[in-house]
Amino acid sequence: MSTTLDPRPVTPARLAWLRTQLDSWETDGLLDDAQAAAILDSYHPSRRFGLTGLLFSIGAIFLGFGLIWLVAVNYEHLSPSVRFGIVAGLWLALLVGGEALHVRRSVPAAASGAIRLLAAFAFGAVVFQAAQSLQVPAYEPALVGLWGLGALAHAYAVGAIMPLAVGIAASLGWYLWVVLWDSTSSLSGVLSLAVAAVVATSLAALHERWLPRFADAWREVGALLALAAMFWAALPFAGPGGFAWSFWLVAGLALAAGSAVAAVLLSRGTTRLEPLVAVGAGVVSVALVLWEAVGTGDGGATFADWAQVSLAVAGYAVLAVAVAALGTLRDSWRLTALSTGALVVFTTVQSFAVFAQIIQGAWLFVVLGLVFVTTGYVFDRARRRLARNLTEVS
Amino acid sequence: MRKRIALVAVVQLACVLVAVAPQLSARAAGDEYRLAVAPIDPIDPFRGAYVTLDYPGIEGADDGRSGELYVSLVRDGDLWRPGPISRTRPDSGPYLACDDTYWQVRCGIESWFVPQDEAARLERKLWESGAVATVKVDGRGNAAIVALDPR
Repeated sequence: MSTTLDPRPVTPARLAWLRTQLDSWETDGLLDDAQAAAILDSYHPSRRFGLTGLLFSIGAIFLGFGLIWLVAVNYEHLSPSVRFGIVAGLWLALLVGGEALHVRRSVPAAASGAIRLLAAFAFGAVVFQAAQSLQVPAYEPALVGLWGLGALAHAYAVGAIMPLAVGIAASLGWYLWVVLWDSTSSLSGVLSLAVAAVVATSLAALHERWLPRFADAWREVGALLALAAMFWAALPFAGPGGFAWSFWLVAGLALAAGSAVAAVLLSRGTTRLEPLVAVGAGVVSVALVLWEAVGTGDGGATFADWAQVSLAVAGYAVLAVAVAALGTLRDSWRLTALSTGALVVFTTVQSFAVFAQIIQGAWLFVVLGLVFVTTGYVFDRARRRLARNLTEVS
Repeated sequence: MRKRIALVAVVQLACVLVAVAPQLSARAAGDEYRLAVAPIDPIDPFRGAYVTLDYPGIEGADDGRSGELYVSLVRDGDLWRPGPISRTRPDSGPYLACDDTYWQVRCGIESWFVPQDEAARLERKLWESGAVATVKVDGRGNAAIVALDPR
Protein backbone atom coordinates (compact mmCIF):
# COMPACT_ATOMS: atom_id res chain seq x y z
CA MET A 1 0.00 0.00 0.00
CA SER A 2 1.40 3.40 -0.91
CA THR A 3 0.42 6.66 0.67
CA THR A 4 0.92 10.17 -0.60
CA LEU A 5 2.09 12.62 2.06
CA ASP A 6 1.88 16.39 1.83
CA PRO A 7 5.35 17.92 1.51
CA ARG A 8 6.64 18.90 4.95
CA PRO A 9 8.14 22.37 5.50
CA VAL A 10 11.85 22.53 6.36
CA THR A 11 14.34 25.39 6.43
CA PRO A 12 16.23 26.08 3.17
CA ALA A 13 19.55 25.26 4.93
CA ARG A 14 18.25 21.85 6.00
CA LEU A 15 16.93 21.14 2.50
CA ALA A 16 20.31 22.05 1.01
CA TRP A 17 21.95 19.64 3.45
CA LEU A 18 19.49 16.91 2.48
CA ARG A 19 20.27 17.44 -1.24
CA THR A 20 23.99 17.01 -0.51
CA GLN A 21 23.35 13.85 1.48
CA LEU A 22 21.08 12.38 -1.20
CA ASP A 23 23.77 13.00 -3.84
CA SER A 24 26.29 11.26 -1.63
CA TRP A 25 23.98 8.27 -1.03
CA GLU A 26 23.29 8.00 -4.77
CA THR A 27 27.02 8.00 -5.46
CA ASP A 28 27.45 5.24 -2.87
CA GLY A 29 24.71 3.21 -4.55
CA LEU A 30 22.38 3.32 -1.56
CA LEU A 31 19.60 5.07 -3.53
CA ASP A 32 18.60 5.41 -7.16
CA ASP A 33 17.41 8.60 -8.89
CA ALA A 34 13.72 7.87 -8.37
CA GLN A 35 14.11 7.19 -4.66
CA ALA A 36 16.18 10.33 -4.12
CA ALA A 37 13.61 12.43 -6.01
CA ALA A 38 10.75 10.90 -3.99
CA ILE A 39 12.49 11.75 -0.72
CA LEU A 40 13.23 15.29 -1.89
CA ASP A 41 9.62 15.77 -3.04
CA SER A 42 8.35 15.09 0.46
CA TYR A 43 9.88 18.36 1.70
CA HIS A 44 9.58 21.95 0.61
CA PRO A 45 11.62 24.95 1.73
CA SER A 46 9.91 27.32 4.13
CA ARG A 47 11.24 30.12 6.30
CA ARG A 48 7.96 30.06 8.22
CA PHE A 49 9.13 26.80 9.75
CA GLY A 50 11.98 28.57 11.55
CA LEU A 51 9.74 31.46 12.57
CA THR A 52 7.07 29.06 13.86
CA GLY A 53 9.65 27.19 15.90
CA LEU A 54 10.96 30.46 17.32
CA LEU A 55 7.48 31.61 18.31
CA PHE A 56 6.62 28.24 19.87
CA SER A 57 9.87 28.24 21.84
CA ILE A 58 9.47 31.83 23.07
CA GLY A 59 5.87 31.04 24.02
CA ALA A 60 6.97 27.95 25.96
CA ILE A 61 9.71 29.92 27.76
CA PHE A 62 7.17 32.58 28.82
CA LEU A 63 4.72 29.89 29.95
CA GLY A 64 7.49 28.07 31.82
CA PHE A 65 8.64 31.15 33.72
CA GLY A 66 4.99 32.02 34.33
CA LEU A 67 4.40 28.59 35.85
CA ILE A 68 7.37 28.96 38.22
CA TRP A 69 6.19 32.47 39.06
CA LEU A 70 2.76 31.05 39.93
CA VAL A 71 4.49 28.73 42.39
CA ALA A 72 6.26 31.75 43.89
CA VAL A 73 2.93 33.61 44.29
CA ASN A 74 2.01 31.00 46.93
CA TYR A 75 -1.79 31.11 46.53
CA GLU A 76 -3.31 30.96 49.98
CA HIS A 77 -6.73 29.77 48.68
CA LEU A 78 -5.26 26.36 47.88
CA SER A 79 -3.54 24.18 50.45
CA PRO A 80 0.16 23.35 49.83
CA SER A 81 -0.67 19.71 49.03
CA VAL A 82 -3.38 20.69 46.51
CA ARG A 83 -0.96 23.12 44.84
CA PHE A 84 1.66 20.39 44.64
CA GLY A 85 -0.90 17.98 43.15
CA ILE A 86 -1.90 20.49 40.47
CA VAL A 87 1.71 21.30 39.49
CA ALA A 88 2.74 17.61 39.51
CA GLY A 89 -0.31 16.67 37.39
CA LEU A 90 0.55 19.40 34.88
CA TRP A 91 4.19 18.23 34.72
CA LEU A 92 3.18 14.59 34.12
CA ALA A 93 0.63 15.58 31.45
CA LEU A 94 3.21 17.72 29.65
CA LEU A 95 5.92 15.04 29.90
CA VAL A 96 3.70 12.23 28.57
CA GLY A 97 1.83 14.48 26.11
CA GLY A 98 5.01 15.99 24.65
CA GLU A 99 6.57 12.58 24.03
CA ALA A 100 3.35 11.10 22.65
CA LEU A 101 2.93 13.99 20.20
CA HIS A 102 6.57 13.71 19.18
CA VAL A 103 6.29 9.99 18.46
CA ARG A 104 2.97 10.23 16.59
CA ARG A 105 4.09 13.35 14.66
CA SER A 106 0.48 14.53 14.71
CA VAL A 107 1.60 18.13 15.30
CA PRO A 108 4.54 20.10 13.84
CA ALA A 109 7.90 19.22 15.36
CA ALA A 110 8.16 22.79 16.66
CA ALA A 111 4.95 22.33 18.67
CA SER A 112 6.02 19.05 20.28
CA GLY A 113 9.44 20.62 20.96
CA ALA A 114 7.74 23.51 22.73
CA ILE A 115 5.71 21.09 24.87
CA ARG A 116 8.92 19.22 25.77
CA LEU A 117 10.46 22.56 26.74
CA LEU A 118 7.42 23.35 28.86
CA ALA A 119 7.64 19.90 30.50
CA ALA A 120 11.24 20.69 31.53
CA PHE A 121 10.10 23.99 33.08
CA ALA A 122 7.15 22.21 34.73
CA PHE A 123 9.57 19.78 36.36
CA GLY A 124 11.35 22.80 37.90
CA ALA A 125 7.98 24.05 39.13
CA VAL A 126 7.37 20.64 40.79
CA VAL A 127 10.74 20.85 42.60
CA PHE A 128 10.07 24.40 43.82
CA GLN A 129 6.46 23.66 44.77
CA ALA A 130 7.52 20.58 46.78
CA ALA A 131 10.21 22.63 48.52
CA GLN A 132 7.77 25.45 49.24
CA SER A 133 5.09 23.09 50.54
CA LEU A 134 7.58 21.41 52.89
CA GLN A 135 9.23 24.71 53.92
CA VAL A 136 12.73 23.84 52.65
CA PRO A 137 14.89 26.87 53.61
CA ALA A 138 15.13 29.67 51.04
CA TYR A 139 18.02 30.16 48.61
CA GLU A 140 18.90 26.48 48.47
CA PRO A 141 21.08 25.98 45.37
CA ALA A 142 20.54 22.19 45.42
CA LEU A 143 16.96 22.77 44.19
CA VAL A 144 18.25 24.41 40.98
CA GLY A 145 20.85 21.65 40.60
CA LEU A 146 18.22 18.93 40.93
CA TRP A 147 16.01 20.73 38.41
CA GLY A 148 18.96 20.68 35.98
CA LEU A 149 19.70 17.02 36.69
CA GLY A 150 16.07 16.01 36.06
CA ALA A 151 15.90 18.03 32.83
CA LEU A 152 19.15 16.43 31.60
CA ALA A 153 17.74 12.98 32.42
CA HIS A 154 14.67 13.86 30.31
CA ALA A 155 16.83 15.13 27.44
CA TYR A 156 19.13 12.10 27.28
CA ALA A 157 16.36 9.52 27.77
CA VAL A 158 14.38 10.68 24.75
CA GLY A 159 16.97 12.65 22.76
CA ALA A 160 15.18 15.98 23.19
CA ILE A 161 17.03 19.26 22.57
CA MET A 162 14.69 21.59 24.48
CA PRO A 163 15.00 19.84 27.87
CA LEU A 164 18.76 19.73 27.21
CA ALA A 165 18.82 23.55 26.99
CA VAL A 166 16.91 23.84 30.28
CA GLY A 167 19.10 21.18 31.89
CA ILE A 168 22.34 22.90 30.85
CA ALA A 169 21.10 26.34 31.98
CA ALA A 170 19.89 25.10 35.38
CA SER A 171 22.99 22.96 36.02
CA LEU A 172 25.24 25.84 35.07
CA GLY A 173 23.26 28.20 37.31
CA TRP A 174 23.64 25.73 40.18
CA TYR A 175 27.41 25.39 39.67
CA LEU A 176 28.10 29.13 39.54
CA TRP A 177 25.83 29.59 42.57
CA VAL A 178 27.59 27.02 44.80
CA VAL A 179 31.07 28.24 43.81
CA LEU A 180 30.30 31.92 44.33
CA TRP A 181 28.40 31.12 47.53
CA ASP A 182 31.62 29.69 48.97
CA SER A 183 33.85 32.53 47.76
CA THR A 184 32.58 35.79 46.24
CA SER A 185 35.91 36.59 44.58
CA SER A 186 36.31 37.55 40.90
CA LEU A 187 38.89 34.77 40.65
CA SER A 188 36.27 32.23 41.80
CA GLY A 189 33.80 33.56 39.22
CA VAL A 190 36.30 33.53 36.36
CA LEU A 191 37.66 30.11 37.33
CA SER A 192 34.17 28.58 37.59
CA LEU A 193 33.19 30.01 34.18
CA ALA A 194 36.44 28.77 32.64
CA VAL A 195 36.01 25.31 34.19
CA ALA A 196 32.42 25.10 32.92
CA ALA A 197 33.60 26.24 29.46
CA VAL A 198 36.19 23.44 29.27
CA VAL A 199 33.64 20.82 30.44
CA ALA A 200 31.00 22.03 27.94
CA THR A 201 33.46 22.20 25.03
CA SER A 202 34.88 18.75 25.85
CA LEU A 203 31.37 17.29 26.08
CA ALA A 204 30.61 18.86 22.69
CA ALA A 205 33.65 17.12 21.19
CA LEU A 206 32.63 13.76 22.72
CA HIS A 207 29.00 14.21 21.62
CA GLU A 208 30.19 14.91 18.08
CA ARG A 209 31.29 11.29 17.87
CA TRP A 210 28.53 9.48 19.76
CA LEU A 211 25.52 11.82 19.97
CA PRO A 212 25.99 14.58 17.35
CA ARG A 213 22.46 15.86 17.87
CA PHE A 214 23.50 17.33 21.23
CA ALA A 215 26.97 18.56 20.21
CA ASP A 216 25.95 22.02 18.96
CA ALA A 217 24.21 22.97 22.22
CA TRP A 218 27.23 22.03 24.37
CA ARG A 219 29.62 23.75 21.92
CA GLU A 220 27.66 27.01 21.90
CA VAL A 221 27.40 27.04 25.69
CA GLY A 222 31.14 26.35 25.94
CA ALA A 223 31.93 29.27 23.62
CA LEU A 224 29.63 31.60 25.56
CA LEU A 225 31.22 30.60 28.88
CA ALA A 226 34.80 31.00 27.60
CA LEU A 227 33.97 34.48 26.29
CA ALA A 228 32.20 35.37 29.56
CA ALA A 229 35.17 34.19 31.65
CA MET A 230 37.63 36.33 29.71
CA PHE A 231 35.26 39.31 29.68
CA TRP A 232 35.05 39.18 33.49
CA ALA A 233 38.81 38.66 33.82
CA ALA A 234 39.52 41.75 31.69
CA LEU A 235 37.40 44.09 33.83
CA PRO A 236 39.61 46.59 35.69
CA PHE A 237 38.29 45.63 39.14
CA ALA A 238 38.68 41.85 38.68
CA GLY A 239 41.30 40.62 41.15
CA PRO A 240 42.03 37.57 43.28
CA GLY A 241 41.06 39.24 46.58
CA GLY A 242 38.86 37.07 48.83
CA PHE A 243 39.53 33.90 46.85
CA ALA A 244 39.20 30.58 48.68
CA TRP A 245 39.30 27.05 47.33
CA SER A 246 36.07 25.10 47.74
CA PHE A 247 35.03 21.50 47.20
CA TRP A 248 32.95 22.32 44.12
CA LEU A 249 35.72 24.36 42.50
CA VAL A 250 38.23 21.52 42.93
CA ALA A 251 35.64 18.98 41.71
CA GLY A 252 34.95 21.18 38.66
CA LEU A 253 38.67 21.43 37.88
CA ALA A 254 39.04 17.64 38.13
CA LEU A 255 36.01 17.12 35.85
CA ALA A 256 37.33 19.69 33.38
CA ALA A 257 40.76 18.01 33.27
CA GLY A 258 39.24 14.53 32.85
CA SER A 259 36.75 15.56 30.18
CA ALA A 260 39.37 17.57 28.23
CA VAL A 261 41.78 14.61 28.17
CA ALA A 262 38.96 12.25 27.12
CA ALA A 263 37.84 14.67 24.38
CA VAL A 264 41.35 15.10 22.97
CA LEU A 265 42.00 11.35 22.99
CA LEU A 266 38.62 10.20 21.67
CA SER A 267 37.46 12.87 19.24
CA ARG A 268 38.59 13.21 15.64
CA GLY A 269 40.03 15.85 13.30
CA THR A 270 39.88 19.52 14.24
CA THR A 271 37.23 18.74 16.86
CA ARG A 272 39.99 17.77 19.28
CA LEU A 273 41.35 21.34 19.08
CA GLU A 274 38.16 22.79 20.57
CA PRO A 275 38.76 21.69 24.21
CA LEU A 276 42.37 22.87 23.92
CA VAL A 277 41.22 26.33 22.84
CA ALA A 278 38.85 26.41 25.85
CA VAL A 279 41.71 25.38 28.17
CA GLY A 280 43.97 28.06 26.66
CA ALA A 281 41.25 30.72 27.05
CA GLY A 282 40.75 29.65 30.68
CA VAL A 283 44.48 29.90 31.45
CA VAL A 284 44.69 33.39 29.93
CA SER A 285 41.55 34.47 31.85
CA VAL A 286 42.93 33.28 35.19
CA ALA A 287 46.32 34.88 34.42
CA LEU A 288 44.59 38.21 33.77
CA VAL A 289 42.84 38.09 37.14
CA LEU A 290 46.02 37.07 38.97
CA TRP A 291 48.00 39.86 37.31
CA GLU A 292 45.91 42.52 39.11
CA ALA A 293 48.06 45.31 37.70
CA VAL A 294 45.36 47.88 37.09
CA GLY A 295 45.13 50.24 40.01
CA THR A 296 45.27 53.73 38.61
CA GLY A 297 45.72 55.97 41.57
CA ASP A 298 46.96 59.53 41.53
CA GLY A 299 49.76 58.70 39.14
CA GLY A 300 47.47 57.57 36.29
CA ALA A 301 47.89 54.47 34.14
CA THR A 302 51.25 52.75 34.41
CA PHE A 303 53.11 50.62 31.88
CA ALA A 304 51.90 47.50 33.70
CA ASP A 305 48.29 48.71 33.38
CA TRP A 306 48.67 49.16 29.64
CA ALA A 307 50.40 45.79 29.30
CA GLN A 308 47.55 44.06 31.11
CA VAL A 309 44.89 45.82 29.03
CA SER A 310 46.80 44.94 25.83
CA LEU A 311 46.95 41.26 26.83
CA ALA A 312 43.23 41.30 27.65
CA VAL A 313 42.29 42.91 24.32
CA ALA A 314 44.58 40.61 22.31
CA GLY A 315 43.40 37.50 24.17
CA TYR A 316 39.73 38.38 23.76
CA ALA A 317 40.14 39.20 20.07
CA VAL A 318 41.91 35.88 19.43
CA LEU A 319 39.19 33.97 21.31
CA ALA A 320 36.41 35.81 19.44
CA VAL A 321 38.11 35.03 16.12
CA ALA A 322 38.40 31.36 17.11
CA VAL A 323 34.69 31.22 17.96
CA ALA A 324 33.78 32.96 14.69
CA ALA A 325 35.99 30.56 12.72
CA LEU A 326 34.32 27.66 14.49
CA GLY A 327 30.96 29.12 13.50
CA THR A 328 32.06 29.23 9.86
CA LEU A 329 33.50 25.73 10.03
CA ARG A 330 30.39 24.29 11.71
CA ASP A 331 27.99 26.37 9.62
CA SER A 332 26.55 27.80 12.84
CA TRP A 333 25.21 31.34 12.56
CA ARG A 334 24.69 31.34 16.33
CA LEU A 335 28.43 30.97 17.02
CA THR A 336 29.26 33.68 14.48
CA ALA A 337 26.65 36.02 15.97
CA LEU A 338 27.89 35.23 19.48
CA SER A 339 31.50 36.08 18.67
CA THR A 340 30.52 39.28 16.86
CA GLY A 341 28.22 40.44 19.66
CA ALA A 342 30.78 39.54 22.33
CA LEU A 343 33.53 41.47 20.53
CA VAL A 344 31.32 44.56 20.13
CA VAL A 345 30.39 44.57 23.83
CA PHE A 346 33.99 43.90 24.91
CA THR A 347 35.45 46.61 22.67
CA THR A 348 32.89 49.14 23.90
CA VAL A 349 33.48 48.39 27.59
CA GLN A 350 37.28 48.29 27.28
CA SER A 351 37.38 51.41 25.12
CA PHE A 352 35.40 53.43 27.63
CA ALA A 353 37.41 51.98 30.54
CA VAL A 354 40.79 52.70 28.93
CA PHE A 355 40.43 55.65 26.54
CA ALA A 356 38.02 57.65 28.68
CA GLN A 357 40.88 58.15 31.14
CA ILE A 358 42.91 60.08 28.56
CA ILE A 359 40.51 61.38 25.91
CA GLN A 360 37.19 63.13 26.45
CA GLY A 361 34.31 64.61 24.48
CA ALA A 362 34.15 64.39 20.68
CA TRP A 363 37.64 62.90 20.32
CA LEU A 364 36.64 59.96 22.51
CA PHE A 365 33.93 59.02 20.00
CA VAL A 366 36.29 59.53 17.04
CA VAL A 367 38.86 57.21 18.64
CA LEU A 368 36.18 54.66 19.55
CA GLY A 369 34.91 54.70 15.96
CA LEU A 370 38.43 54.05 14.67
CA VAL A 371 38.90 51.23 17.21
CA PHE A 372 35.64 49.59 16.06
CA VAL A 373 36.44 49.86 12.36
CA THR A 374 39.99 48.53 12.82
CA THR A 375 38.82 45.72 15.09
CA GLY A 376 36.08 44.74 12.65
CA TYR A 377 38.50 44.68 9.70
CA VAL A 378 41.17 42.65 11.53
CA PHE A 379 38.52 40.34 13.02
CA ASP A 380 36.96 39.55 9.64
CA ARG A 381 40.31 38.90 7.94
CA ALA A 382 41.52 36.68 10.79
CA ARG A 383 38.24 34.74 10.90
CA ARG A 384 38.31 34.02 7.15
CA ARG A 385 41.97 32.98 7.19
CA LEU A 386 41.56 30.72 10.24
CA ALA A 387 38.40 29.08 8.86
CA ARG A 388 40.14 28.47 5.50
CA ASN A 389 43.16 26.90 7.21
CA LEU A 390 40.99 24.68 9.43
CA THR A 391 38.94 23.55 6.44
CA GLU A 392 42.13 22.58 4.59
CA VAL A 393 43.40 20.68 7.66
CA SER A 394 40.14 18.77 8.17
CA MET B 1 9.17 4.77 24.34
CA ARG B 2 6.69 4.21 27.21
CA LYS B 3 9.47 2.68 29.30
CA ARG B 4 11.71 5.69 28.63
CA ILE B 5 8.99 8.17 29.62
CA ALA B 6 8.32 6.15 32.78
CA LEU B 7 12.07 6.16 33.49
CA VAL B 8 12.23 9.95 33.06
CA ALA B 9 9.25 10.37 35.40
CA VAL B 10 10.83 8.08 38.02
CA VAL B 11 14.23 9.83 37.83
CA GLN B 12 12.63 13.27 38.05
CA LEU B 13 10.44 12.23 41.00
CA ALA B 14 13.59 10.89 42.69
CA CYS B 15 15.16 14.36 42.19
CA VAL B 16 12.12 15.94 43.88
CA LEU B 17 12.40 13.48 46.78
CA VAL B 18 16.11 14.26 47.21
CA ALA B 19 15.28 17.99 47.21
CA VAL B 20 12.86 17.65 50.13
CA ALA B 21 14.20 14.49 51.84
CA PRO B 22 15.17 16.00 55.24
CA GLN B 23 11.86 17.87 55.58
CA LEU B 24 9.83 14.87 54.37
CA SER B 25 11.59 12.52 56.79
CA ALA B 26 11.05 14.91 59.70
CA ARG B 27 7.36 15.37 58.88
CA ALA B 28 6.75 11.67 58.40
CA ALA B 29 8.76 10.25 61.29
CA GLY B 30 9.65 13.16 63.55
CA ASP B 31 8.35 14.34 66.93
CA GLU B 32 7.10 17.88 67.54
CA TYR B 33 9.08 20.53 69.45
CA ARG B 34 8.09 24.15 70.04
CA LEU B 35 10.91 26.74 69.77
CA ALA B 36 10.96 30.52 70.24
CA VAL B 37 11.85 32.48 67.07
CA ALA B 38 12.31 36.05 65.80
CA PRO B 39 11.58 37.16 62.18
CA ILE B 40 13.54 38.73 59.31
CA ASP B 41 11.79 39.21 55.90
CA PRO B 42 12.92 38.63 52.26
CA ILE B 43 11.90 36.98 48.91
CA ASP B 44 13.15 33.86 47.11
CA PRO B 45 13.00 34.28 43.28
CA PHE B 46 11.65 30.75 42.71
CA ARG B 47 9.35 30.33 45.67
CA GLY B 48 8.15 33.81 46.59
CA ALA B 49 7.80 35.62 49.90
CA TYR B 50 8.96 34.10 53.14
CA VAL B 51 9.92 35.06 56.65
CA THR B 52 13.48 34.20 57.68
CA LEU B 53 13.45 32.84 61.20
CA ASP B 54 16.22 33.37 63.69
CA TYR B 55 16.38 30.90 66.58
CA PRO B 56 18.03 32.53 69.62
CA GLY B 57 20.77 30.24 70.86
CA ILE B 58 21.45 28.47 67.55
CA GLU B 59 24.86 29.72 66.50
CA GLY B 60 28.08 28.42 64.99
CA ALA B 61 30.56 26.55 67.18
CA ASP B 62 33.43 28.83 68.22
CA ASP B 63 36.13 26.33 67.20
CA GLY B 64 37.50 27.87 64.00
CA ARG B 65 35.96 25.10 61.88
CA SER B 66 32.86 24.91 59.71
CA GLY B 67 30.61 22.19 58.36
CA GLU B 68 28.29 19.75 60.09
CA LEU B 69 27.04 20.89 63.48
CA TYR B 70 24.64 19.30 65.98
CA VAL B 71 22.46 21.36 68.30
CA SER B 72 20.83 19.46 71.18
CA LEU B 73 17.35 20.58 72.27
CA VAL B 74 16.64 21.11 75.96
CA ARG B 75 13.17 21.44 77.49
CA ASP B 76 12.49 24.90 78.95
CA GLY B 77 8.96 25.05 80.39
CA ASP B 78 6.39 24.79 77.56
CA LEU B 79 9.06 25.30 74.93
CA TRP B 80 12.34 23.73 73.87
CA ARG B 81 15.53 25.73 73.50
CA PRO B 82 18.92 25.09 71.87
CA GLY B 83 21.34 23.39 74.27
CA PRO B 84 24.91 22.11 73.83
CA ILE B 85 26.48 22.42 70.35
CA SER B 86 28.92 19.80 69.04
CA ARG B 87 30.68 18.70 65.85
CA THR B 88 29.89 15.05 66.55
CA ARG B 89 26.44 13.51 66.39
CA PRO B 90 24.96 13.17 69.92
CA ASP B 91 24.27 9.65 71.17
CA SER B 92 20.67 10.51 71.99
CA GLY B 93 18.14 13.13 70.96
CA PRO B 94 16.45 15.33 70.42
CA TYR B 95 18.96 17.32 68.40
CA LEU B 96 19.08 19.31 65.14
CA ALA B 97 21.51 18.37 62.34
CA CYS B 98 22.83 21.72 61.08
CA ASP B 99 25.58 23.21 58.90
CA ASP B 100 27.60 26.38 59.58
CA THR B 101 29.61 26.44 56.35
CA TYR B 102 28.06 29.78 55.42
CA TRP B 103 27.29 32.97 57.34
CA GLN B 104 24.06 31.51 58.74
CA VAL B 105 23.72 28.25 60.65
CA ARG B 106 21.30 26.19 58.52
CA CYS B 107 19.18 23.52 60.20
CA GLY B 108 16.44 23.25 57.54
CA ILE B 109 13.96 25.36 59.54
CA GLU B 110 15.03 28.94 58.74
CA SER B 111 12.31 29.86 56.24
CA TRP B 112 8.53 30.08 56.51
CA PHE B 113 6.94 30.53 53.05
CA VAL B 114 3.68 32.48 52.99
CA PRO B 115 1.80 34.67 50.44
CA GLN B 116 3.29 38.17 49.97
CA ASP B 117 0.60 40.07 51.95
CA GLU B 118 0.60 37.48 54.69
CA ALA B 119 4.42 37.73 54.96
CA ALA B 120 4.30 41.47 55.66
CA ARG B 121 1.43 41.08 58.17
CA LEU B 122 3.09 38.14 59.88
CA GLU B 123 6.42 39.92 60.08
CA ARG B 124 4.83 42.94 61.85
CA LYS B 125 3.02 40.67 64.28
CA LEU B 126 6.14 38.67 65.05
CA TRP B 127 8.25 41.78 65.65
CA GLU B 128 5.65 42.94 68.19
CA SER B 129 5.17 39.74 70.14
CA GLY B 130 7.68 37.14 68.92
CA ALA B 131 6.60 33.69 67.82
CA VAL B 132 6.77 30.00 68.49
CA ALA B 133 7.74 27.59 65.73
CA THR B 134 6.46 24.04 65.85
CA VAL B 135 9.20 21.86 64.43
CA LYS B 136 9.23 18.14 63.69
CA VAL B 137 12.59 16.43 64.21
CA ASP B 138 13.39 12.83 63.28
CA GLY B 139 15.97 10.53 64.87
CA ARG B 140 18.78 11.75 62.54
CA GLY B 141 18.24 15.43 63.39
CA ASN B 142 16.41 16.26 60.14
CA ALA B 143 13.97 19.03 60.94
CA ALA B 144 10.91 20.57 59.26
CA ILE B 145 8.91 23.53 60.44
CA VAL B 146 5.18 22.70 60.42
CA ALA B 147 3.59 25.73 62.11
CA LEU B 148 4.38 29.27 63.19
CA ASP B 149 2.23 30.97 65.85
CA PRO B 150 2.49 34.40 67.47
CA ARG B 151 3.22 34.15 71.20
